[in-house]
Amino acid sequence: MSTRELSLGHAAPAHVETGVWSWITTVDHKRIGILYGVTALAFFLIGGIEALVIRLQLARPDGHVVDADTFNALFTMHGTTMVFLAVMPLNAAFFNYMIPLLIGARDVAFPRLNALSYWIFLFGGVFLNASFLVGAPPNGGWFGYANLTTRQFSPGLNIDFWVLSLQVLGASSVMAGVNFIVTILNMRAPGMTLMRMPLFVWMTLVVQFLIVLAFPPITVGLIFLMFDRFFGTHFYDVTAGGDLHLWQHLFWIFGHPEVYILILPAFGIVSEVLPTFARKPLFGAPVVIYSGVLIGFFGFGVWSHHMFAVGMGPIADATFSMGTMLIAIPTGVKIFNWLATLWGGAIRATTALHYAVGLIAAFTIGGLSGVMHASPPVDLQQTDTYFVVAHFHYVLIGGSLLGLFAGAYYWWPKITGRLLDERWGKLQFWVTFVAFNVTFFPQHYLGAIGMPRRIYTYPPGRWWDFWNLVSTVGAFGIGVGVLLFLVIAGRSLRSGTRAPADPWDGRTLEWRTSSPPPVHDFDTIPPVHGRDTFWREKHGDSRGHRPAPAPPAPEPHGIHLPPPSYWPVVIALGVIVAGIGALVSLAVVVMGAALTVIGAWAFALEHHGDPALADQTGVLGVDSRKVALWTFLGSECLFFGTLIASYMAYKGRSVVGPHPHEILNIPLTTISTFDLLMSSLLMVLALAAVQRGDTFQARLWIFGTAFFGLIFLGFQAWEFTSFVHEGLTLQTNLFGSTFFVLTGFHGAHVTLGVAWLLTLGVLHLRGRLPARDAVKVEVAGLYWHFVDIVWIAIFTLVYLVP
Amino acid sequence: MDARTRGGGPSRWLLGVTALLGGCAWNAPQTSLVPRSDFARAILHVYAIITWAALGIATVVVVALVVIFVRFRSREGAPLPRQVRGHTLLEMSWTIAPALVLLVIAVPTIQVIFRTQGQVSGALEVVVRGRQWWWEFAYPSLGVVTANEAHLPAGRAVSLRLEGPDVIHSFWVPQLGGKRDVVPGRVNRLTFTPDTPGEYLGQCAEFCGTSHANMAMRVFVDAPEAFERWIAAQRAPAVEAPGPAAAGKAIFARSACVGCHTIQGVSAGLVGPDLTHVGSRTTIAAGFLPNAKGPLTAWIRDAPALKPGAKMPPLGLSEADASAIADYLLSLK
Repeated sequence: MSTRELSLGHAAPAHVETGVWSWITTVDHKRIGILYGVTALAFFLIGGIEALVIRLQLARPDGHVVDADTFNALFTMHGTTMVFLAVMPLNAAFFNYMIPLLIGARDVAFPRLNALSYWIFLFGGVFLNASFLVGAPPNGGWFGYANLTTRQFSPGLNIDFWVLSLQVLGASSVMAGVNFIVTILNMRAPGMTLMRMPLFVWMTLVVQFLIVLAFPPITVGLIFLMFDRFFGTHFYDVTAGGDLHLWQHLFWIFGHPEVYILILPAFGIVSEVLPTFARKPLFGAPVVIYSGVLIGFFGFGVWSHHMFAVGMGPIADATFSMGTMLIAIPTGVKIFNWLATLWGGAIRATTALHYAVGLIAAFTIGGLSGVMHASPPVDLQQTDTYFVVAHFHYVLIGGSLLGLFAGAYYWWPKITGRLLDERWGKLQFWVTFVAFNVTFFPQHYLGAIGMPRRIYTYPPGRWWDFWNLVSTVGAFGIGVGVLLFLVIAGRSLRSGTRAPADPWDGRTLEWRTSSPPPVHDFDTIPPVHGRDTFWREKHGDSRGHRPAPAPPAPEPHGIHLPPPSYWPVVIALGVIVAGIGALVSLAVVVMGAALTVIGAWAFALEHHGDPALADQTGVLGVDSRKVALWTFLGSECLFFGTLIASYMAYKGRSVVGPHPHEILNIPLTTISTFDLLMSSLLMVLALAAVQRGDTFQARLWIFGTAFFGLIFLGFQAWEFTSFVHEGLTLQTNLFGSTFFVLTGFHGAHVTLGVAWLLTLGVLHLRGRLPARDAVKVEVAGLYWHFVDIVWIAIFTLVYLVP
Repeated sequence: MDARTRGGGPSRWLLGVTALLGGCAWNAPQTSLVPRSDFARAILHVYAIITWAALGIATVVVVALVVIFVRFRSREGAPLPRQVRGHTLLEMSWTIAPALVLLVIAVPTIQVIFRTQGQVSGALEVVVRGRQWWWEFAYPSLGVVTANEAHLPAGRAVSLRLEGPDVIHSFWVPQLGGKRDVVPGRVNRLTFTPDTPGEYLGQCAEFCGTSHANMAMRVFVDAPEAFERWIAAQRAPAVEAPGPAAAGKAIFARSACVGCHTIQGVSAGLVGPDLTHVGSRTTIAAGFLPNAKGPLTAWIRDAPALKPGAKMPPLGLSEADASAIADYLLSLK
């Protein structure tokens, strides 16, 4: 028995592990949340120090605090750190800690996967910052525009660190994204319908979809850049026909949704904090939900507003301008609904409420300057100037960071079991808020009078001196605000007043359990009577009717807490060793890859056969693993879609041969395509056989599918070899680069599928794949069918379309 | 207020407000708020409309917040407030109202996009090449090539043809209009009509590597006759002054200088700026050093020391040789 089973009625396990090892192997969402929070705070301080050095350099004209290359590295690392290592993981800290509590669950859907996300994030962040230690910090901007970032113009290790760590961090985010989508959709307490979910849960759900769908395009862009730098391909090589707009499109298709990935969680927090401290329900909650969903949805269609200056032509400019302006409507709706929530309330001006209201004010400014950039003519003056720097800091500090502070003050008692000092907290708010405005408001003006971004110095006589100095003073004020928070937090942890379970007269389920919650979150899964269910229990609904106490939800399996596991940290270690190897030597890459594969295998088989985990059907009526795979396949669609679209965009742009029609062997590929299609048929038979317990046929069809997959790989190996003999390699021309990368990644997916099927086959041979585990075969089958469908698309578009 | 500011009522007011904002001056040397071309004026017009709309909305939000905090503070012992869950009509109205405001912004936006991105017949074509980290300006129809300082005739449309031989840069002279990226492998266009003679500062606006900050340019908008005179002078052959300049010419001609720089009749290098009439320019090093004996000599001896990453390597020239070359270059008016 691999899960510790607690009998109902016991408040908590008698003994809670503490030491370092217990933290390394923890799979408890609350501990992982704390790990995310502490780690992200450390990176936030590093990014903040980078910002202060930047401001010191710019305080006066002709600054000499740092040299040009150091400055360029500092703003690159400041941006990359704040986006990927500070704000995203600070959001993740709240997702991890709060989401299960808010939906009345005992953990996330896949606790070990959650730990894996964290460890990969941690190692990826440390790897990125290790670049400072070897004197090669990334210096191409957080947006890494090709071709400046290709080997020709950035020969050092600097950009290598950036390319590798961003891919690693992306993998971590997508894993967490899948995990939280499944958790929110499938792990809700009975009665917690979608429209009863708290706003923070809703915004988290939107954000996870954005992460899962937005990261694949940038991953493809980074893969192209990595191949250009390491293997001599030509994706961003203008002389070979490459188009530099490609990188910008791939980056911003990710980059704009990323803005909402950063800010929607803060909107969710504000939507929890305002009703609590106004003692009134969120005004028009369904509209606030829909507007959040719309923001996320529109967010995918507006990326080119970051590219008005690149010369896309008036029609594209006009289209993306209109799309961008549309986003202002749901955003405005949110702001007015928040104001209406406060209107008529009984407002308790706590620190958390100060921050939430500060967000409304600051984000309004950031949103309005955003509408200015939505107008291409105006944007042509403002883009790449300090006006834009001011704008997005009003969004990311005024929006995200103030929201995160609101969340910190709001949930601190729940997480730590202690109260923060409210008087010091308000002082901390005012210091931070005033300093923030002093820092960034003048930057609008600096941009308007012509100060570009990313300049390490400026000459006197541009009239930029005074307001730069003011901005620097403000930046140090923000630094004081952040330090003050650390002091307040430290004092609270050491000697703060003990927090009751429900210090704010809260509305949502997390306040229904103790502060801090027990390991298993809730002794009994709480009843859900409607939106703000806990408030209704205490105060009754709008007519004052109190819901009848519901019987505790049935728990057929008792309370299961997954045991700790060290495999997540092993896999993460393998990934990062491979990353280091890419900079050092192939042997290290192989070691890292081996460690990853072994770790993944052990991870997959760790709880295999545990009867308590055989059925993971959730409130959707679908097994969580299937929901996860479907979500992952959504991400994969974007991944292959981007690869195929890039192939199509580059078709016919090669400046030298061989060209596709001279070399592609259509008859032979038709046979291998047929073989792969037939493997899908075998996969269907295999699943049916496993489900009905037919041992012979199950083995026959599982191994048959894998065998057909191997045949396909054999065809592909033969094809690649003959192409190389005919003079087409990755480095030959754009066709070679796009063809090998696209089909190569598909081949890698087939290889993974074969390994997966062989593993299942061996388990079956050993009698360890009974019918109750058929869902494992089903999930593998879904993946297999998807890979086959992708091949049909590739076969049609690459081979058949002339 | 400059009488020539024809940006219309809203932008005139905007300038006034900006000027009032605690010591802000709107006519800074590289400002985008004092337009000197049709393009820049059209932009400022849209900008002013949006700014006024934005100020209006911001005022509504701030006033609402203030009223809320004055009226709705919690009092001891007061009953729970009315538990209002929403109001469909209100919510619809604050969905529609922003949409109307956006429409007011969208119409002039679209108009200006199409008005400023069209082709203009009879425009003077100037090829702009952004390089790490300087600007080349070529006038193909006039047979003139120069660097970092362009001259344009007032009142005549110019069409910049933007070409990038190395990485992405962005051409930006705020008073003459918005920026446009210089993208290797593509040709971008920027068309406008400068309307007021003067000297306008600009600089690269897209991060392009180490010395991105040191990639400035000057655009001199000349009255038509002055522009003709400038063209005539630039087309004339380079004539050095007698004396030390002649010695400098000899040193220049036998040094590595000729591998990268063109001086008509002397050398034909294509890597660095054309120096045929370098003495007629006001600055060197892409606009950040005055074109005078001292800075020029130092620049010739060790450019990367003055401008990080500069592609001109120190050639190991003696102080005397560098000084002679400086004399020679300064004489090339």
